[in-house]
Amino acid sequence: MMVFERIGSFFGIVFHLAADPINIAILFGSVLMGIIFGAMPGLTSTLGVALLTALTYGMDTSMAMVCLLAIYVGGTYGGSYASILINIPGTAAAAATALDGYPLACKGEGGRAIGLTTTSSAIGTTISMLFVVSISPIISYFALQFTSFEFFLLAFFGILISGTLTSPDLVIKGWIAGFLGLFLACVGRDLLQFYPRFTFGFSELDSGVEVVPVLIGAFGIPQIIQVLKDRFQIGETQKLQRIIPEIGTVVRNIPAIIRSALIGVGIGAVPGIGEDIAGWVSYGTAKNTSKHPETFGKGELKAVLASETANNACVGGAMIPLLNLGIPGSPPAAMLLGALMLHGVTPGPMITFEHPTFIMEVAAILLLASMAMFVTGLLLAKQVVKVLRIPTQIFMPIIGVLCIIGSYSLGLNIFNLYLMLPVGIICYFLTEMGYPIAPLVIGVILGPMADENLRRALMVSQGSFMPIFQRPVSLILFIIIVLTIISQFDWYRRLKDRAMAKIRSRGNTCEVILEENESER
Amino acid sequence: MMEKDKLRKADIFSGSVIMLFGLWIISQALDMPMKDSWGGVQNVWYVSPALFPLFVGAMITLLGATLVRKAFKIVGRQGFRDVIQWLGSSDLARYLKTPAVFRFYAMVVLFFSFVFLNIPRIDFFLCAILFLIVFITMFYFDDDALLKKMLYVYLVGTAVLIVFFALGLPRALETTLPYAGDWLTLAFIVTYAIYAWTLIRSVPALRKKYRTALILAVLAPFTIGPIFKYFLLVPMPMEGMVVAVLDALWYWDF
Repeated sequence: MMVFERIGSFFGIVFHLAADPINIAILFGSVLMGIIFGAMPGLTSTLGVALLTALTYGMDTSMAMVCLLAIYVGGTYGGSYASILINIPGTAAAAATALDGYPLACKGEGGRAIGLTTTSSAIGTTISMLFVVSISPIISYFALQFTSFEFFLLAFFGILISGTLTSPDLVIKGWIAGFLGLFLACVGRDLLQFYPRFTFGFSELDSGVEVVPVLIGAFGIPQIIQVLKDRFQIGETQKLQRIIPEIGTVVRNIPAIIRSALIGVGIGAVPGIGEDIAGWVSYGTAKNTSKHPETFGKGELKAVLASETANNACVGGAMIPLLNLGIPGSPPAAMLLGALMLHGVTPGPMITFEHPTFIMEVAAILLLASMAMFVTGLLLAKQVVKVLRIPTQIFMPIIGVLCIIGSYSLGLNIFNLYLMLPVGIICYFLTEMGYPIAPLVIGVILGPMADENLRRALMVSQGSFMPIFQRPVSLILFIIIVLTIISQFDWYRRLKDRAMAKIRSRGNTCEVILEENESER
Repeated sequence: MMEKDKLRKADIFSGSVIMLFGLWIISQALDMPMKDSWGGVQNVWYVSPALFPLFVGAMITLLGATLVRKAFKIVGRQGFRDVIQWLGSSDLARYLKTPAVFRFYAMVVLFFSFVFLNIPRIDFFLCAILFLIVFITMFYFDDDALLKKMLYVYLVGTAVLIVFFALGLPRALETTLPYAGDWLTLAFIVTYAIYAWTLIRSVPALRKKYRTALILAVLAPFTIGPIFKYFLLVPMPMEGMVVAVLDALWYWDF
């Protein structure tokens, strides 16, 4: 009965949102904007969400979420345009798509490839929406049992895993970036005793660093500098034919779609891991399980389908820890968290009590966004592709102005700009030296949660760390954290290899003995 | 991102800076109340505001040191010596003058002057036009020699603006010439535009780019600005001459 009630209330929310023409206009406008942001190499969906956050400041929460989720969904999908037509991924999420999408375009099947990415992206988002609705109550229920130690360990785990998986160079650099983010979160008066930490007498820093301007600086400024410093040029685009939804190919590959969507949702739910990893993992899995792996990289439709379903399914996956634990599942989700805080919504286990219909609303928006993306993708792809002709030297300075006015407008504070720009320049240097930015951002966001919960937990236990080992969830998280850390050491790898070799040799010995016994019989 | 071997060499320095930064965090955290009283509350170590910064500082120091050690192991003593030698050689000066690095300087100068000098003092529309016209022309012409010349002219103009504001002239001229800073910026924009034109007038391809740059530099602020000012009701960081004109038009009682 409760399931039917939930389904009923879900569709009620969908119709309520869709009945408002302003919502629909915002939905289609934001999806289109997202597709443009995704399609333009150099712009990302994270930056799109960041810039749009400033524009949604005056809207009510539900309208703001329509706007931000639509640009997130559109941006993740839009990256495939540049991947397919110019062999340069519009966003990192679409990098795997380029491997087979571009050869398809070269064969004159660009329209077919975009039709397929449109359909699979819409399906990926819709499947992930189902997970948001179905898994959220379970996670929320378990999260309510969490104590401060669990929340501290969860925040710490989020930073570590994000650092481990997003680092383009050494894993240790990802961890350093995460801890730098935690340091930024320390700035301001501490939440328990209101002692000013690292404020240097600036009253503007008393309430801590403003998250959204820091995020805009961290994602926007390095992007602008990199593109213009390295003279990034958009290449010649391949011709685009009629775009067809490719329903037949989709129906023939339903098991592959479900597998890719599950990969996307799973990876999206891991804190701080973005759509790019989901796309690559799904592509790799599709290749490994294919009967003809040799066709991958030469224009295989299944490859495009796998990466695009997974990267869009990641959007819903990233919403699950964001809404239920307050831990963003991807960099754009980190921006969404910042936006939600601006609107007075604090995601976490209490969200189902404080805003009972909020998770349903998010799921409904995801469904509407995927439908809007499907329609916009099929109807306007040819027009959107024209933006690939705009030189980066023109739009990057304009993005710079948007970053600045956007950071200022959140709080009407020029000090935000004084913070955003140095953070942006430092992040540029960090990026150049192989430090990932996502863990830094996750650190800034999860820092207050980690700090507050660590001290609160110790207050309850009178300074004892023993509850970590006495509570099962804490213990599991602690073991995962320790394993994540030691797995990066050479001695651990050697030890593991030796142990595995021993197990294998024992297995072989057993097999030989069994064979001998059988032959004796 | 740099190449792998260069990255390892750079890691020694970035790791050292990070390690020192971690030590600085620890030193600052040690000044925070640990066991003494703060605001009438007697502290214990586990509720101290220093606890988390100490943990973060210690981790940053440890990770920085590990990075240095790891990089040093790969690069070796000879590699490290090479880097030190490179830092003291003329190669460094040559590197700092490469076109790519120069483009970086240009962007940093533009962003810093826009945020720290212009936005708090000059009408938003004017300083956005100045920022865009300089930024777009510098990079859209795609010529490093032109970029250098334009950057020098921009630096001269910025120096004039700094002197103008440092001497407190806007306030002194307020009664005789309202919006003196805005007028000066307008003059700067016009001068820069004329200078850029003289540089490219003989090249037809660049003339087209110049026109595009000029149109977009004016059009973009007049699209973005009104959205924030009149639709989202966000007051501009500095409202001067142009905002006064726009306000008069927007709130005109017909």
